[in-house]
Amino acid sequence: MMEKELKVGIGDMKLTRGEGRIITYALGSCIGISFYDPFLRLGALLHIMLPEKGDMRDQNVFKYADSGIQETLRKLTAFGFVKRRAEIKIAGGAKMFEISGNANFGNIGQRNAVMVKKILAAEGLRIKREDIGGSCARTMSLNVATGDVLVKVFGRPELHL
Amino acid sequence: MARIRSYEDMNLQEMDVMKEISSIGTSHGATALSKFLGKEVRITIPEIQILTVEEAVKRLGDMEEIVAATLVQMSGEIRGLMLFVFKLDLANVVFEKLLGKEYQSFLEIDELAFSALQEVGNIIICSYINAFSHLVNVDVSLSVPSSTVNMLGGIMTVPVAEHGYETDRLMYINAEFILDGKRLSDGLLMLPDIESLNEIMEKLGVS
Repeated sequence: MMEKELKVGIGDMKLTRGEGRIITYALGSCIGISFYDPFLRLGALLHIMLPEKGDMRDQNVFKYADSGIQETLRKLTAFGFVKRRAEIKIAGGAKMFEISGNANFGNIGQRNAVMVKKILAAEGLRIKREDIGGSCARTMSLNVATGDVLVKVFGRPELHL
Repeated sequence: MARIRSYEDMNLQEMDVMKEISSIGTSHGATALSKFLGKEVRITIPEIQILTVEEAVKRLGDMEEIVAATLVQMSGEIRGLMLFVFKLDLANVVFEKLLGKEYQSFLEIDELAFSALQEVGNIIICSYINAFSHLVNVDVSLSVPSSTVNMLGGIMTVPVAEHGYETDRLMYINAEFILDGKRLSDGLLMLPDIESLNEIMEKLGVS
């Protein structure tokens, strides 16, 4: 039987329970955040692109670290997710291009990482493992049966978080 | 006068203007490439499409596909980014012509091959912008180019992440190079910020 696989787009989140895999492709400066409750085998994967939701009318909550994490936690809680048991892992935040003479360019990955960490800390959530920064895009997937997170980067061996 | 607030706000007339400018820009790009490679390069008439990152990725391949890309930042009277994406078939034409060899994948390319690609990406972008700035009559300064070999999905999100609070769309210039009778896939993206886009339209007397 084919394993159930849920795909998470850019500025998107999926959650599931019991078994299957949640995957998001080619995180560049974006950050993937996996949430896992091992007791319930309940998992979510969020793919954010920017640090903060500036415009309150913006419907796209999962695009931003602040509103995305809050909305993911709200949904997970409805399924019985308990923060104290939570295993949080993050990947992404790369700097894809360096423009010499413009150090600020492409810092969005780093700013995303800072914001994700700040918001998780404010929610009382500890990051169990992370693979952040560098210059390579990453594909990240969460195995909901085991809580294992797999990070694939081109030209590097696969990494289990 | 209706101001453009995001790329997808552009009306037919405005899109036509962008298409016309791109047509001139890309043909200059092709001429420059032709001089550089010392062989005839033709180009198909471009279409301009306003796409989401996922749609733009689909035009060229898939999210995890490894491609090379060159990025240049525009400043001055037009601000924003230009991005040129190489797939392996086009890159191999460059490698064959300049280095006398081809590669099976982007994983194998060395520093010399990488800088050859960066040069070609830069030439195409610079000649495009030169033609563009003459036509619109604006001064545009270009940064030094920056290149990467990376997953297509990660590359395509760069402009959107940079402009993220303005628009989540890309302006994709769909023109294909024809070399030795073969159509080669590439992606050229012009991404002025929204203020600059409005200034372009004003300068040209559109809207």
